[in-house]
Amino acid sequence: MSEKLGPVERSTLNIILMVVIGLIIVDIALRVSCCFLQGHRSLSSQVTLMGSGSTFIYPQLKHWISLFEEKNQNIVVNYNPTGSGAGQSQLIREKVVSFACSDPPLSHDTYKSVNGKILQMPVIVGAVVLVYKIPGYSGPLNLSANVIAEIYLGKIKYWDNPEIVKLNPKAKLPHIEIKAIHRSDASGTTQVFTFFLHKAAPSLWPENLVGKAINWPVDKTGRGLGAKGNQGVSEYFKTLKSAIAYVELGYALENKFSIAAIENQAGVFVKPNTTTMTAAVESALKSGLLPDSPSADWSNALQAIVYASGKNSYPIVSFSFMMVWNVYPKKKAEALKTFIEFINTIGQENVIEGYAPIPKELREINLKSVNIIRGT
Amino acid sequence: MDARSLKEKIFLVTIFALTALGVTPVFYVLASVIYKGIEAFTRRGIGIIVKVNGGILPAIMGSFALSILSTVIGVVLAFVAGLFVAEFPNSRISKITKVASRSLLEVPTVLLGMLVYILLVVPTGHFSLLAGAIALALVMLPYVMVHVEQALESVPQIYREAGYSIGMSRAQVLFGITVGIAKRGIASGILMGFAKAMGETAPLLFTIGAARSSLPCSIMSPGDAVPLMIFQYAQMPQEYYHDLAWAGSLVLVIVFLLVFVIVRKLIKEVKY
Repeated sequence: MSEKLGPVERSTLNIILMVVIGLIIVDIALRVSCCFLQGHRSLSSQVTLMGSGSTFIYPQLKHWISLFEEKNQNIVVNYNPTGSGAGQSQLIREKVVSFACSDPPLSHDTYKSVNGKILQMPVIVGAVVLVYKIPGYSGPLNLSANVIAEIYLGKIKYWDNPEIVKLNPKAKLPHIEIKAIHRSDASGTTQVFTFFLHKAAPSLWPENLVGKAINWPVDKTGRGLGAKGNQGVSEYFKTLKSAIAYVELGYALENKFSIAAIENQAGVFVKPNTTTMTAAVESALKSGLLPDSPSADWSNALQAIVYASGKNSYPIVSFSFMMVWNVYPKKKAEALKTFIEFINTIGQENVIEGYAPIPKELREINLKSVNIIRGT
Repeated sequence: MDARSLKEKIFLVTIFALTALGVTPVFYVLASVIYKGIEAFTRRGIGIIVKVNGGILPAIMGSFALSILSTVIGVVLAFVAGLFVAEFPNSRISKITKVASRSLLEVPTVLLGMLVYILLVVPTGHFSLLAGAIALALVMLPYVMVHVEQALESVPQIYREAGYSIGMSRAQVLFGITVGIAKRGIASGILMGFAKAMGETAPLLFTIGAARSSLPCSIMSPGDAVPLMIFQYAQMPQEYYHDLAWAGSLVLVIVFLLVFVIVRKLIKEVKY
């Protein structure tokens, strides 16, 4: 064949050949090493589920996946923590993943545009907690939405402010400035936190200060500090002597920070734990504020569970949703159903530190999707 | 002591101090990676290297495959482009190629990842090692190309003339003489590109899929890479994952150093 070709064509061909041979060699090497390293799993019968989205749910999902794979050897679940927004778009628009996880539910507009074809299941409850460091004091601390709002507005400057003292009559609070740490990146954590402030203290915290990234009024006083990510906020918080910060519960527990009790709608000061977090969701369910089907519009879920009624409810909680289509190829549909079933049964009994399981009623609602998903 | 030798002393001390300033961060990073990495291995056991779920095997295997794949794609392309540009400096194509490859240097690597995501991941419908490798190849391409080009240009013209004078063809001169003399420069260019690609996280975010529960079993299956794993595990609250990230860093550093030392030893300078 090479007789008819000139030297340029021949070398072009050779180069392409070289690349192709290189790719094939690596491909074969991967297949062979796979056979050696995970021989017990036969590749042909294996179904792979790829997911992407929320970074918040990632540690819990990893835990579920390893438990799930012990029981279901022929289903592999992989998850790429790219962020909630990217997850939604990779599932719905680009269709490169089988499922997505997102902390906020689909917005009302997106929900309408997919026309009930996307199923949403809140699978885990998270909490945003306020951590504090007060020089010379290590006891418990009570905070209300008003006080937190005033700290982040820059109105409360010292720990011994009368309003804080009123909530903590027994504590000996020093006359030292409070540094208020917040997220510098766009974040769902900030969204939940500011949403809570607005809902619980609407006169102090206006609606234009609710969002994933806001202009923090406390920054203008020089006492506000920004850091990237929950991990960044935690690291920054460690270096300060007198500060307050909001982080996801998991980071507070892992770093053994002091966690404040927050006043809920019933006027009780509640610390975040499994019971109080699940209680908030239960009370929202009882008041009929949450939908009763995975194919319904969940866009108001945050409204329902933040600052919920009930004297046991921790006020700053959020969901993480799992999202799937309602139609899949047969094998994938079966695998996905098995995974959804697992998460809403055994999964809820295996919740790691920093999260709370969803109440029984909600598991029932989520399990409806097993009957909705069709295999073609 | 006269003014001149005093000046010299001051100059030397300044140079020494600046050098130390430049090198200290490297040693600091190296030392902390080794310290924390060993700590992680002693705490979690050496077994995490070969564990799939809750271990770092998928990341190591993925990085290994990615490094070969992206080098095969990137280096071949860059080598050919570099040869062409150096050999035909006045052709219009080579001028365009030169400008285009230089501007590729300026593009944020996450955008290269997005490009591959749109052009390959979305049409194929899933993340894959190949997509990651192509994104990495795009990252390393301009680095390797510039090095190849400069290495070839630095070969004195008289060597080529000597080749022509004994009746060698252009191709024979190029591959037999020029490339041979420039091979150390070319090799260091390839190493630069390799190092650049191996340490990149951003092009992989939307291309390989961070698949950590299974091994990558073909170039079209989703996979993981050590830098991506470090990036994502470092943001998690649990210490266990921080340890895995440190362990991964240690492995990455060891492999890096080994590759560098071996390649430098293998390719000796050509003596004129």
